[in-house]
Amino acid sequence: MEFFDNELSTLMPAEGRVEAIAKVTGKGKYAAEYTVPGVCYAVLVTSSIPAGTIKAIQVDKAKRATGVIDILYHQNKPVVPGFADETKIRESRVGLPVFYTDKIYFKGQPIALVVAESLEEATYAASLITADYTAEVFNVDFVKTHPSIPLKAAGKERGTVDEWSNAIHIVEAEYTIKEEVHNPMEMHATIAEWVGDNKVKLYEKTQGVNSVQRVISGLFSIPRENVEVISEFVGGGFGSGLRVWSNTLMAVMASLQVKRPVKLMLTRPQMFSLVGYRPESWQKIKLGADSSGKFSGMIHQAKHTTSVFENFNENITRIARLVYDFKNLKTESAIVPLNLGTPTWMRGPGDCTGDFAIESAIDELSYKLNEDPIALRLKNIALKNDPESGKPWSTHFIDECLEQGATKINWKNRKQTPGQVTEGDWQIGYGMAIGMWTSGRTQASASIVLDKSGTIIVRTAMTDIGTGTGTAMQNLAHESLGMPKNKIKVELGNSNLPPAPSQGGSTGLASLGGAVMDAATLLKQKLATYAAAINAQYKDAAAADILLSENGISYKQANAQFISYADLWKKVDEPTIEAEATSAPGEERQQFAFCSSAAHFCIVRVHSKTGKVKVDRMVCVADGGKIINEKPAANQVSGAAVGGIGMALMEEQQADVKFGSLLGNDLAGYHFAVNADAPIIEVSFIDKPDPNINQMGSKGLGEVGIIGCAAAIANAIYNATGKRLRNLPITPDKVLLG
Amino acid sequence: MRPFNFTKVTTVKDGITKKEDTGQYIAGGTNLLDLMKKHIAQPEMLVDITTISSSIKPLKTGVQIGAMVRNSTLTLDNEILTKYPLIAKAILAGASPQIRNMASTGGNLLQRTRCVYFYDVDMPCNKREPGSGCSALHGNNRMSAIVGWSEDCVAVHPSDLCIALVALDASVKVVEKNQKERIIPFKDFHRLPGNTPHQDNNLPANAIITAIEVPVNPFNKHYAYLKLRDRDSYAFALVSVAAALHLENNRIVDARLASGGVAHKPWRWSDAENFLKGKEANTANFQEAARIAAEQTKPLEGNAFKVPMLKGAIEVALQNCLTA
Ligand SMILES: Cc1cc2nc3c(=O)[nH]c(=O)nc-3n(C[C@H](O)[C@H](O)[C@H](O)COP(=O)(O)OP(=O)(O)OC[C@H]3O[C@@H](n4cnc5c(N)ncnc54)[C@H](O)[C@@H]3O)c2cc1C
Repeated sequence: MEFFDNELSTLMPAEGRVEAIAKVTGKGKYAAEYTVPGVCYAVLVTSSIPAGTIKAIQVDKAKRATGVIDILYHQNKPVVPGFADETKIRESRVGLPVFYTDKIYFKGQPIALVVAESLEEATYAASLITADYTAEVFNVDFVKTHPSIPLKAAGKERGTVDEWSNAIHIVEAEYTIKEEVHNPMEMHATIAEWVGDNKVKLYEKTQGVNSVQRVISGLFSIPRENVEVISEFVGGGFGSGLRVWSNTLMAVMASLQVKRPVKLMLTRPQMFSLVGYRPESWQKIKLGADSSGKFSGMIHQAKHTTSVFENFNENITRIARLVYDFKNLKTESAIVPLNLGTPTWMRGPGDCTGDFAIESAIDELSYKLNEDPIALRLKNIALKNDPESGKPWSTHFIDECLEQGATKINWKNRKQTPGQVTEGDWQIGYGMAIGMWTSGRTQASASIVLDKSGTIIVRTAMTDIGTGTGTAMQNLAHESLGMPKNKIKVELGNSNLPPAPSQGGSTGLASLGGAVMDAATLLKQKLATYAAAINAQYKDAAAADILLSENGISYKQANAQFISYADLWKKVDEPTIEAEATSAPGEERQQFAFCSSAAHFCIVRVHSKTGKVKVDRMVCVADGGKIINEKPAANQVSGAAVGGIGMALMEEQQADVKFGSLLGNDLAGYHFAVNADAPIIEVSFIDKPDPNINQMGSKGLGEVGIIGCAAAIANAIYNATGKRLRNLPITPDKVLLG
Repeated sequence: MRPFNFTKVTTVKDGITKKEDTGQYIAGGTNLLDLMKKHIAQPEMLVDITTISSSIKPLKTGVQIGAMVRNSTLTLDNEILTKYPLIAKAILAGASPQIRNMASTGGNLLQRTRCVYFYDVDMPCNKREPGSGCSALHGNNRMSAIVGWSEDCVAVHPSDLCIALVALDASVKVVEKNQKERIIPFKDFHRLPGNTPHQDNNLPANAIITAIEVPVNPFNKHYAYLKLRDRDSYAFALVSVAAALHLENNRIVDARLASGGVAHKPWRWSDAENFLKGKEANTANFQEAARIAAEQTKPLEGNAFKVPMLKGAIEVALQNCLTA
């Protein structure tokens, strides 16, 4: 986007988001910011050891502290039917049966919850609680442990390994990535209030209100509609809000126990162990090619951490089966249980990790073949059909992404031999990689409400975690109805609104957009019916013939057969006219496969004496189908790319293998990329509608912005220096010693 | 955080009188509050000294910087920028604008290490709990010291400002419990860990830092502060180098070379400085100075990289003195 790409651009910025003013004025409320009369405050006490059993908890001192209302722990908690026995606990799939076990699985696990009149009192009282444990042997050492965990087939083998074991060119290498944490700006928080015997209301930081509703209603055995979940503003998620974590549960339990609304917000340090992370991983790639550069086969093996109480598999090898046309392909994986919290999906889950290894190996192969890495990829990309299902891609424009990206970054200036370009002590190199993601879509509902004053409200339960969903809803409603944008309001993130899936996996808009458009059609049909009673012209009107303006509706052309809302409402009994629609994937999923993709290009400079790496330019060209609103779309991709810089160069969360503690749990020590680390990300889109995916032709965008970034940077470092660095993050020490 | 009493004082004298042994002074609070939240510092009373000297006074012999001068003020002050620009450079390489707005000059000297083991009360740390052991010695010591460490502690002092101050031969003005004033040379202010790593410095108990004095110097033309870190802003140094040269016809009359991220105290590379004196300012001599400094290091298992990094950083910083 010109406005973003060019610092000196004189263009007007594109118009803002629907929620922008509420956010910057502080009027928009995040979960913990609601005022609930009678609210009390909960603060967590966590385990100081990584494995064992609680022998005793000393809560007496804390109980006597001023302001303390109650203390929940495994011997003092309300009944949670979903935790009634071991089987139920397993079936609940919430992971940690908090307060329903005396077992300690990881350091930082909640062992008690102090509820007090004020946050300060609860915080102080929490510090007075001590526990005795029977400590057990623990393990947080992924590097030492993973070799002993056997690999298992991950998907059906294609062809055989024998067929290419003597391929002319082989790259075989191992890759590792350290644990990364999401840590969105807004910390996980819940205000829970039981508003009746079996009715609970939650202000919750989540990426999906309906999923919270489902989990809580299941655990507490109450009807789903009795759980109201509100999450109107979300300060980022990156996947950490896709699950219901123990904090939500504890708030609901505490509120049940003390019969008052309870607010629980995790502290920043607690965010590091209680709401998931991208697991540490190991991968091995063996990639073969014939002399023409056609891939003859690949073996992709991957392992990553999970917790000892839950199996989480993020399917790192999935992307091996998606992008390239491998006749022979073997994918294997394993998960390695450690005494850490359970990992979870983090932006581009699995694929981001797998892509780094594959795209690094392909880059390495390109140098062996002395072939341009773009040309090598184009030779091997499965451009027509999904290599896994065999179905034709509905649309797939990665070739165009590559072409445009190469032009933008001036790829022709890249030197095929590494280490050729220097500027003083700096070595300069070009790198690229591609990313892909299957474009999913799930059932979603939306409604549109028109009132007498000519105001539209578009509604859905889906959250907007910063992706621009609300803005896109407004755009779609505007395009479908003709109503000016300033007359279209958006309401979302509330379980009382039409149901929608969680916002994750790049499926949000692709799922919801169709429902908004269908609701618009239904609304126009309703309006036509009312209008026909006033003006016969409207009798045979199709939805497409109806145009809405601030003052009334018209037929086919603006102001033709105009009926004002005031006149229209003479025929309408209700104060509003409302239409709700549900849209879902269908037949097209049998016929086609769907994907989004992106080509990432970068120029880096590497300091030969200090190991410092600077990303000078970063170009990302993405195919997300039809782009509904370029500004938030580009914002998504550039945010993801900055995340990719962090993944490539600095993000790592480690644990001490001797003590089982996380090493550091604050944002001063955990380095994610900041503005100073990132150039202006040059984002552009193919912007061609996919005719089959949904009514708009929009595919997902949230993940492909990061998938491929890390490899592009590592590949550029190789081009600059001749050092092939396969362990992320590539901090200056690795460059110096590499 | 534990409950505590809070007193605000308006004079140094008053502060010293009011402070009890179980109490602590609080200035900007950017370090102390974090330590209190993590139960590492548990003062029973806080004496707010934010109203003590916050002026920058030119002296005949140099400049006096009041203890409460905020870090950001130092980066905007004309006296500092023209005569002691190395100080501003160092500060700008640290923390964030918001933190620099709060952080005081005195507090910056007394900020505690960022060693991850120090910050987790469930792991042994001699600095936090004398006698409990050093977890970093054989643990994760990527960020730890490469010079001057002991078996009892391998932590480093995290400050950037202090690196410039030690390079410029500053001194620390303090008022002791008995209300007597004392001047401590900057290079003697911080300590090496030895077997008493819980003592970061030689500030007498209950004393207040009132000011820093920096002597007049010729290092306002050729100077550089280079900080290597895992990200380009808001990160502590892996290795930092303050370099300053006094040149006459490209001959080095005097040189200053100090580093952060390498030791328990702001570290001066005196041998390297001595080598440079009288030499021509050229790449070969810079490389030799870097080699001399690097030779004096003794890295741990996990931070061998700091040695080549230090060497490179010294070379680049000295080179930057010529272009800056
Ligand atoms: C996230 C983060 C990143 C940071 N990054 C950097 C960085 O990159 N580089 C860097 O140099 N610093 C960095 N800092 C540290 C920051 O510079 C210090 O926290 C700050 O300088 C301390 O000053 P203060 O006034 O806030 O001290 P306080 O927190 O108020 O006090 C610190 C200590 O000094 C004592 N004290 C304060 N003033 C006096 C006095 N006049 N006399 C006697 N005792 C006194 C207090 O009792 C306390 O023990 C960072 C801090 C944070 C939180």
